[in-house]
Amino acid sequence: MDVFTIAIWVGTLIFLFISLVKDKEKTKKALKMALGMGRGMVVSILSIVFAIGLILTILPPEEIARFVSEQSVLLATVVAALFGTITLVPAFIAFPLVGTLVGAGVSVVPAVAFLTTLTMVGVVTFPLEKKEFGVKFTVVRNGLSFVFAIVIALVMGVVI
Amino acid sequence: MSILKKLKGNLFLIIVILAYIVMFIARPEMGVASVKNSAYYIKEMLMIMPVIFILTALLDLWLPKEKVIRFLGKEAGVKGIVFSFVLGSVSAGPVYAAFPMCVMLHKKGASIRNIVIILSSWAVIKIPMLINEAKFLGPKFMAIRWVLTVIAIIIFSWITSKMVKDSDLPEDTPVQAGLSLNRDACMGCGLCTKQYPELFEMEGKKASIKQGTLPDVAKLMQAIDTCPVKAISKNL
Repeated sequence: MDVFTIAIWVGTLIFLFISLVKDKEKTKKALKMALGMGRGMVVSILSIVFAIGLILTILPPEEIARFVSEQSVLLATVVAALFGTITLVPAFIAFPLVGTLVGAGVSVVPAVAFLTTLTMVGVVTFPLEKKEFGVKFTVVRNGLSFVFAIVIALVMGVVI
Repeated sequence: MSILKKLKGNLFLIIVILAYIVMFIARPEMGVASVKNSAYYIKEMLMIMPVIFILTALLDLWLPKEKVIRFLGKEAGVKGIVFSFVLGSVSAGPVYAAFPMCVMLHKKGASIRNIVIILSSWAVIKIPMLINEAKFLGPKFMAIRWVLTVIAIIIFSWITSKMVKDSDLPEDTPVQAGLSLNRDACMGCGLCTKQYPELFEMEGKKASIKQGTLPDVAKLMQAIDTCPVKAISKNL
């Protein structure tokens, strides 16, 4: 296990222990909530993971990296950002996936754009957001998030 | 739940299974490679997923949200911005669960700007996720992306508040009389069904209210309180 996995386990177990000492009921509630959230997502997570396994076999990460490097950075970034807005992959699967792709040589700029729009811009959740906040708010928020995702990605490309 | 509904809910799973069957018939060696590829991700996720869910739930329950919510109005200034980031970063649940909660906060006086901050930070800068990001992409990558994202959110939340006025948000939807459960917000954690099994049940992935039960107010209030995304409301 790597240091981050260990750190998060140790930190959480300490938190859990303190929580248990302070308030047994609340801790029980938290564990039930965690279990409920996990159970609710397990089927969709497994299907996404197996889909990723299949796609990476047909399109090996090295191929993807070669293809992306042949395009202009800006085009690759915009396409990656668009891809992020329409896909619904939970972030904790997206990180190892993007890790694999960057490891294979995909530039960080499109990778960051994909990660950011994936979580911040939602085509799938658009109708729900519109219903709660109205068209104007939803269009402005998602539009600005998309633009800034690309800005963040381009700045990251310079900094890293 | 009808079979059709069940099929529809798991459509993606069925497509994936079919794709694997086709793959194993056409190119068995690629099928094996696909399973091997997937196994890597499953192994990684099993190591980190349980702890992410537990940490998320603990953070959600231990942060005194009621105290934070009071500081989200227009006059709150920097304090409101900081609290909005904190609220979004420690809350549990997918972003669609944040929508109804933010509507409720807006009704209680939270500014448009702070609502955009809560929604955006809810989506991208969850604390357990940052640790996960550092694991796979390196702490430097995570830290830089975090700083840039926070700056970006500060800027575009300000722009949004200039473009969208309070009056652009939909008027109060007529409050449903009696007890109601917002199924768009429910994330299927099942806490209400455990708190009050006589009244709530799971229907597929979401909770629903059992018909014909006369709710016991004290127990109901407890269930309403327990719901992490505030999907249950009552007007008795």
